[in-house]
Amino acid sequence: MRLLIVEDSGELAEWLARALAQSSYTVDVAGDGEEAEHFLAVSDYTAVILDLSLPKIDGMTLLRRLRQRGSKIPILILTANASLDGRVSGLDSGADDYLAKPFDLAELEARLRAIIRRHHDLAAPVVAVGDLTLDSTTGEFRLNDQALSLTPREHSVLTHLVMRRGSTVKKSALFDDVFGLEADTDPSVIEIYVHRVRKKLEGSNVQIATLRGLGYLLRVS
Amino acid sequence: MLATLVGVLCFNIYLSFNQARQTANLVTDNMLSGSARMIAEAVRVDESGNVAVDIPPAALEIFNTGAADKVYYRVITAWGSLIAGYPDLAEPAAADQGAQMIFRGEPVRAMRLSHPIVSQRPNATVDVTVAVTLNRAQGLEREIWRYDLLEEVILVVVAGLVTIFGLRRGLAPVLKFSDAVQASNTERKTAFDESAVQTEMRPLVRALNGYIRRTEAQLAAQARFISNAAHQLRTPLTILSTQASVAARASDRKLANEALSALSNTTQRTARLAEQLLTLTRAEPGSGSWTAEPVDLAATARAVLESLADEALRKGIDVSFTGPDAALVLGDRTMIQEMVVNLVDNALRYTPSPGQVSVEVRAAPAGVVLVVEDSGPGIAPAERDKVFERFYRVLGTQATGSGLGLAIVREVVQAAQGSIELGSSAAGGLRVEVRLPAA
Repeated sequence: MRLLIVEDSGELAEWLARALAQSSYTVDVAGDGEEAEHFLAVSDYTAVILDLSLPKIDGMTLLRRLRQRGSKIPILILTANASLDGRVSGLDSGADDYLAKPFDLAELEARLRAIIRRHHDLAAPVVAVGDLTLDSTTGEFRLNDQALSLTPREHSVLTHLVMRRGSTVKKSALFDDVFGLEADTDPSVIEIYVHRVRKKLEGSNVQIATLRGLGYLLRVS
Repeated sequence: MLATLVGVLCFNIYLSFNQARQTANLVTDNMLSGSARMIAEAVRVDESGNVAVDIPPAALEIFNTGAADKVYYRVITAWGSLIAGYPDLAEPAAADQGAQMIFRGEPVRAMRLSHPIVSQRPNATVDVTVAVTLNRAQGLEREIWRYDLLEEVILVVVAGLVTIFGLRRGLAPVLKFSDAVQASNTERKTAFDESAVQTEMRPLVRALNGYIRRTEAQLAAQARFISNAAHQLRTPLTILSTQASVAARASDRKLANEALSALSNTTQRTARLAEQLLTLTRAEPGSGSWTAEPVDLAATARAVLESLADEALRKGIDVSFTGPDAALVLGDRTMIQEMVVNLVDNALRYTPSPGQVSVEVRAAPAGVVLVVEDSGPGIAPAERDKVFERFYRVLGTQATGSGLGLAIVREVVQAAQGSIELGSSAAGGLRVEVRLPAA
């Protein structure tokens, strides 16, 4: 899953990115509002972590613009201002959740999972596709109630597909989600990962179908 | 005030007592004089030169006032022959004047009258002395005095009541105002209504309102500062917490070590920020922690440069110092040092490698000048005023910093009654010139 962190403190952004990478997120960092708008325009993100005090375009303005454009991307606001007014206006402007600095990383991740789940209309933290289940809290996949062992990249691929089950996922979007912006990897490498995941799903009723010219589709046979 | 009132009252009572006595004496003296005159006019001299008197009853009846006074009299010729009355009744020395005497063990008031008579003897006169006991006089005296006393007491009581009532009424707005001031302790401080008190009191209320306004402004500035400070502390705390989490969850040792060493750096920086916040609070006017002592600015600058030299070399920055052996300025030792640390630290922080930071101390008329120059990006003229504001950071600044350094420098310079000026250095970086009064 690919996240965008918009935060003007480069140091905080860097360490948040590293911490979230530990939890198998792919993370891009934007240092100001303008950069964030640019990133959001060219790539798909699973969720945005947005600091409100930003140079150039402030967080609240960015948030309003996104929502005006009709974007439904889950947004978690971070701010040093913990006042009630700030929380209310942040949520009213279209944020999905709000976290005041300093926060605990575990809480940030729990809230991220919650807003992503809500975005994908999942009330329960466990997503089931046929024989396959994903516990979005722990990130654990189970196939026929047996733990499914995946490498981090494979995990990212399958998570992306599960989140968008029933609809086609473009190869490029899947690549971006798994490798992020900085990757200078050959885009076709995604096929290798899809192939590996497919093999691990063999023998179940879950399939990754390839639709030429369209992308991949996770379906129950 | 009460003591004065009682004193005046006592004095008044004493005066009216004297007055009453004088009045009573005057009345008695008039009666004595009338009586003596009647007796004197009844003195007859017959052809043979014998002097005789027939005391007219009226002369004694005058004194018959129901006070059971005893009347004594004596009529004696100038040549010493007693004509009538009590031979042992002494004569007052002065004629026509009432005198206090003791007669037969009783106090009496007496008067002597010299009356000429027709006789062959030269200077023929009779002396008529009349004395009366003091029952009536004292009665009269008491009566007058009592009346006076009553009048006085009524006057005092009325005056007292009027005073108390008047004071109450006059002080009511002041008391109400004082209640209002006391009650406003808890709420937000607002200005008091001037028109609630008398005209004479209004300057006081106005002064109080001015004081409140100044205090309010000070409190607001302080609250802003605290809120800013809390804001500034939140980000490093978040970084710390994130770094700790990364270290705790790291599966490989390299990442864990990296996170831990970054955590240690962040901790130091956060501690430095806390230190700067404290310095700012102490440098604030009225904080009471400011002392004025001779401080060697040259030695301070040298010591600061030495302590930061290692860091500078690691960053690839040349540091240099020029200055006399000693240059004494007047200020607080810790604060002056804090000021130099912040200036040099700023220069090192914003100067890219390779670069130079130079510090110069020199004597100037009526003071000492400290110049810190760097080869960093400098500060645009439009930003030069703003960088002294607390927490202000030039937009797009990459280097880490709290935005407090120059604010501290300015506060210290102001407290030491010096001046500060920002300019461009020869290398295109920032040039800071601080002037402090010499010790």
